[in-house]
Amino acid sequence: MTLETEVQSLRQVPMFKDIDPARLKLLAFTSERVQFAGGQRFFAQGDMSDAAYVILDGRAHVMLDTAHGEIKVADLGHNALVGEMGILSDSPRSATIVAAEQTTALRIDKRVFLELLAQFPQIALAVMRELADRLERTNAQLAAQSKA
Amino acid sequence: MEKSLFRYIWQHSRREQLLVCAVVLVSQPFYFFSLDLPRRIVNEAIQGQAFRDGQTTATFLRLTLDWPAWLGGGSIELFQGFQVGRVGLLFGLSTLFLVFVLINGAFKYWINVAKGALGERMLRRMRFQLFSMVLRFTPDALRTVKSSETATIIKDEVEPIGGFIGDAFITPAFLGFQALTALIFIIVQNAALGLMALAVIAVQFTVIPRLRRELLKLGRERQLASRELAGRIAEVMDGMEVVHVHQSQSWEKAEIGHRLFDLFDLRLQIYNRKFMVKFLNNLLAQMTPFFFYAIGGYFALRGTLDIGQLVAVINAYRELPPPLKELIDWDQQRLDVQVKYDQVVQHFTPERLLPEHEIETVEDVPLVGTMQAKDLVITDTHGSTLIENVSFEIKLPAHVALISDGAAAASSVARIIAMQVPSFSGSLLLNDHDLRLLSPSIIGRRLAYAGVDPIMFPGSIRDNITYGIRCKPNGNFDAAKREEVRRIAEALRTGNPVESISSDWLDYGLVGAKDADDLDRIMIDLLNRVGMERDLYRFGLAGQLDPERYPDMAGRIVEARRRLRVTFQANGMADLVEPFDIHRYNDQATIAENLLFGVPTSEAMTGRNLAQNTEFRRTLDRAGIHDDLTEMGLQIAETMTEIFEGIPPGHSLFQQFSFIDADEIDDFEEILRRHARGPLTKDDEIRLLGLPLAYIEARHRLGLLDNSLRMRFVRARGLVREMLEFGGNPGVDFYDPDKLCAAAPLRDNLLFGRVSYNIANARERVAQAISAVVGELGLLESIERIGLDHQVGTAGRLLDAQQRAGVNLVRCLVKKPDIFVLDGALTSFDEGRAQMLIGVLSEVCEGRSLFMVLPNDRQAEAFDILVRFRKGRVTTEERHPTVLGKSGVSEGERMAGGVV
Repeated sequence: MTLETEVQSLRQVPMFKDIDPARLKLLAFTSERVQFAGGQRFFAQGDMSDAAYVILDGRAHVMLDTAHGEIKVADLGHNALVGEMGILSDSPRSATIVAAEQTTALRIDKRVFLELLAQFPQIALAVMRELADRLERTNAQLAAQSKA
Repeated sequence: MEKSLFRYIWQHSRREQLLVCAVVLVSQPFYFFSLDLPRRIVNEAIQGQAFRDGQTTATFLRLTLDWPAWLGGGSIELFQGFQVGRVGLLFGLSTLFLVFVLINGAFKYWINVAKGALGERMLRRMRFQLFSMVLRFTPDALRTVKSSETATIIKDEVEPIGGFIGDAFITPAFLGFQALTALIFIIVQNAALGLMALAVIAVQFTVIPRLRRELLKLGRERQLASRELAGRIAEVMDGMEVVHVHQSQSWEKAEIGHRLFDLFDLRLQIYNRKFMVKFLNNLLAQMTPFFFYAIGGYFALRGTLDIGQLVAVINAYRELPPPLKELIDWDQQRLDVQVKYDQVVQHFTPERLLPEHEIETVEDVPLVGTMQAKDLVITDTHGSTLIENVSFEIKLPAHVALISDGAAAASSVARIIAMQVPSFSGSLLLNDHDLRLLSPSIIGRRLAYAGVDPIMFPGSIRDNITYGIRCKPNGNFDAAKREEVRRIAEALRTGNPVESISSDWLDYGLVGAKDADDLDRIMIDLLNRVGMERDLYRFGLAGQLDPERYPDMAGRIVEARRRLRVTFQANGMADLVEPFDIHRYNDQATIAENLLFGVPTSEAMTGRNLAQNTEFRRTLDRAGIHDDLTEMGLQIAETMTEIFEGIPPGHSLFQQFSFIDADEIDDFEEILRRHARGPLTKDDEIRLLGLPLAYIEARHRLGLLDNSLRMRFVRARGLVREMLEFGGNPGVDFYDPDKLCAAAPLRDNLLFGRVSYNIANARERVAQAISAVVGELGLLESIERIGLDHQVGTAGRLLDAQQRAGVNLVRCLVKKPDIFVLDGALTSFDEGRAQMLIGVLSEVCEGRSLFMVLPNDRQAEAFDILVRFRKGRVTTEERHPTVLGKSGVSEGERMAGGVV
C-alpha cells in the first residue's frame, strides 16, 4: 500500500472529498500509517486528543464507558474517519476506539492537521462544510425524534 | 593597569628590549661596511685605483687597528691580507659584499623573530591581565559593560598594540641607527650632499606628523564606532526573540546600515588624509635624488666628486628613505596605539573593578557558629533603600527560610549571606569575624548560591556540575615533558598562570569521593534525587559510548542487545523492531543507512554529502543501482514539488517533512523541466541522487522500492564497504551484531535495528522493553553515567529550564557547602515538585546550613527558623527547637530594624 492508495482512501472520506489531490497527498504524506493488533486501542475515552485516524483496512469498535461498564455503540469500517472532533474542539476523547481485528489506519497528527487548516482555506472550508452538514443532520434527527 | 603605554612596555620587557637593541647596535658596523663596499668595488677594482702605480697586485683583507691620535697614534696589523690581482680583487670584494649581505640578512632575521616574540609575549600578558580584570568587574559595572564590547577589546583592540610593542623601542633604535649611518656616510662622502639630504629629512619630520594628527582623531572615532557595532550586533543576537516577535528586522537592518555608513564615512576620510600624506611623503623623498643627480652630477663633472663616490652616495641614499619612512610610520603607529591603549585602560577603570584578591593559602575553617547581622543597610542601584538597619543572629548550622513579602528585601539578605552583594553597610559576622574578609578560597569551597538564572557553560552535564569543585590542579604537572617545560617558562615570562588545564582539577576530597568513578556515582545520585532520573536515562540512551573510557561496557551492551531480542521474541513483540541484518533490506531505515550498513563518522559520509562522493557514485554504478536511485530522486522531486507547492518557505511542515528545502524547490522544478526536455547534466544527477538517500520506505510510503531493488541494495552493501575500506579510513562505523557501534547512540546499539513506523505505539512499548532489560542487567547506572556526557549547549540551551535548574542545584550540592543559599532557584518547578525538592534539599543538607528565599509559609515546613520580611518588619520564629537544641533563636524573638 502506498501513498496513492491512501489518497484514494482519504478521498472516500466525506470531509476530504472536495480537496485537491495535491493537498490530499500532502495530508497523507504528513500522516503516519499505523497498524493496530486486534483488541489494541486507538485511544481511550478521556485521553488527550492528539490525532485523528482514517481506517484504511480492518474494523474498529466505538466503546463508551457507562455505569454498567464499557458498551459498544458503533462499528467503524473501511475509510471511516474517527477522532477528528476531538482535535478540532481540543476536547478529551469522548469514546474509546478498539481495533476489532488487525487494522491499519492513517494517523493524522493534530498539530500538522491544524497547520494544514491554517495554511489552506480550501481544506478549512471542506471541514466546515462537513461539520455544518453533520449539524444539519443532527438537527433533522432531533426534529424527527420530537415529532415522533 | 599602567596609564602610560611606554612605561607599561618598559616595565615588563626591559630586558628583552635592551637585548634586541644591543644586537641592533652590533649589526650596524656590518651594515656600514656593506654600504662602503660598492664604492671600493667600482673605484679600486673596476677603475683600478688600487693598481695605480703600476702595481700588479693589491692587498686584500688587510685588517689593521688604528690608535686614535690622543692615545699616541700608530696602528697594529691584525691580518696582513692576501696579495691579489685585479680580477682577484674584483671577485674578492664582490664575494665580501655577498658575505655582508648574508650577515645583514641573518641579523635582520634574528631581530624580527625576537621582536615578534617580544610583542606576542606582551600581548599575551596584556590580554591575560585584561581578562583577570574582567573577572573582577563589579556587579554595577557588569550592568553597564557590554560583554561583546569587552570581548572585542581583549581580542581585537589590543592586537595592534601587541604588534607595536615589539617595535616600541627597537624600531626607532634600529631605523634611527640605519638612517643615521646612511646619513653620516653621505656626509663623509660629501658634506654638501649630506646637508641637502638632512634638510629634506627635517622638512619630512616636521610637516608630516602635523598632517597626521587629524588622522588619529578619526582613527579613535572609528575604533569607538566599530566597538559599538560589535556590541550592537551582540545585542540583536541576544534579543533575537523580540526581533522576531515584533518583526522589527527592517528597523534593525536600517540601524546597522546606518552604523556601517558611519564606519565607511570615517574610513573614507581616513583614506583621503592618509593617502594625501603619503603622496607628500613620496614627493619629498623623490626630491633628494633629483638634487643628487643634478648637483652631485655637476660636482662629478667639475671633478670635485669622483664617480665612485657619487654612485655610493646615491646608493646610500636609496637606503635612506625606507628607514625614514618607517620611522615616520612608527611615530604614527605610536600615537595611534597610545590612543587605543588609553581607551582600553579606560574600559577597565579601577572604579569598575573589585579589589584584587591575594591568593594565599589560608587555614580552612568551617562556616559554622554564630552568624550575626548588625544594622544591615542595602540600597539598590537607584539609591532607594531596600533594607534598613536589619539585625539578626542565627546559630549555624540551621535551615533558615527567608520568607519574602514580594519585595526584594529577602533576596538581598540572601545575596549578602552568599557574598553576592559586595557593597552594603552594617556588618555580617560569623563567630565575630567579618564574612567579607573571608578568603575567596573558603567561600568557593564552603559556600554555594543558586539564583533564579542557572548559568551553564557549554560542555557536558558533568563539566557543569564539577565546575564548582575545580579548585586547583591535582598533583604536579608533567614537568619532564619538553613541551610542558616550554609552556611553563612562557607562562612565567608573561605573568600567566602556570597550571595546566589538562591536569585533573577536581577536588575529590571536598566531595568525599575516592576517584572520578566515585564522583560520577555521587553526581548521579544527586541528580536522581532532584528528580532528573528520567532525563539522565534518556540522555544516556541518546549518547554515544566511548569504548576506551568504558572498556567493559561494550560487551554488556551487546549482551543486553541479545537479551532484548529474546524478550521481543518471547513477548510477541518481534515485529516492533526490524533488526539490522546484513542479508536483508531494512524498510525502517534510510536507503543511505541500508547501503552503508553502518553509521557515518565523517561529515563527507553524512546525508547528501554522500551523493557528492565520486567513488560512492561509481560503486553505485557498478552495483547497477545508480540509475534506479536517480530515477527515485526524480520521483521524489516530482512528488515534493507537487505537494509542497503553495506552502510558504520556512513553514514548519517543510522542515518536518520535506526532502527538499523551501529554497531548493525552484531548483528541482528546473531540473524536472530539464529532464522532460532531454538528458540530465551530471550536477543534476548528483542532486537527484541525494534525495532518495534519506528515503525510508515504511515512513514515506512513496512506493519506490520493490523486492528486486531491495535485493540489489543489499548486494551493493558489499561493494560499498569494499570501496570504503579500500583507503583504510572508511568514515563509517559498520554494523556488526556482535560488536558495539561506537558512532551510534546507545539506544540504537541496544536495539540494533529500527523501531517500526507502522505499528501503533511501537516506540513506547520498545522503550518499556529496553527499560526492563536495562534494569535486569543492572545497566542503569552505566547509562546514566553516559548521560552525564550530554552536552548542555551554549548557555545550557539544549536543556529545558527545569533540567538547567536541576543541574544548577546539583552543582551546588555536590561540593557539600557549609552554607547553601537559594534564591528563586526552584521557580521553574511547579509547586509540587518544588515542595519535593525542598524536602530533598533539607535531607541532603542535614547538619549543614540552608538559607532559602520562599514566597510564602506554605513551603516552610521543613525549616528550623523562619525569617519573615513583611511590610518593613523582620521577625523570626524558631520551628523545631528540639532539633536545633540550644543553638536556636528563641521563639518569637523580634529582630531589630525594619525593611523598607
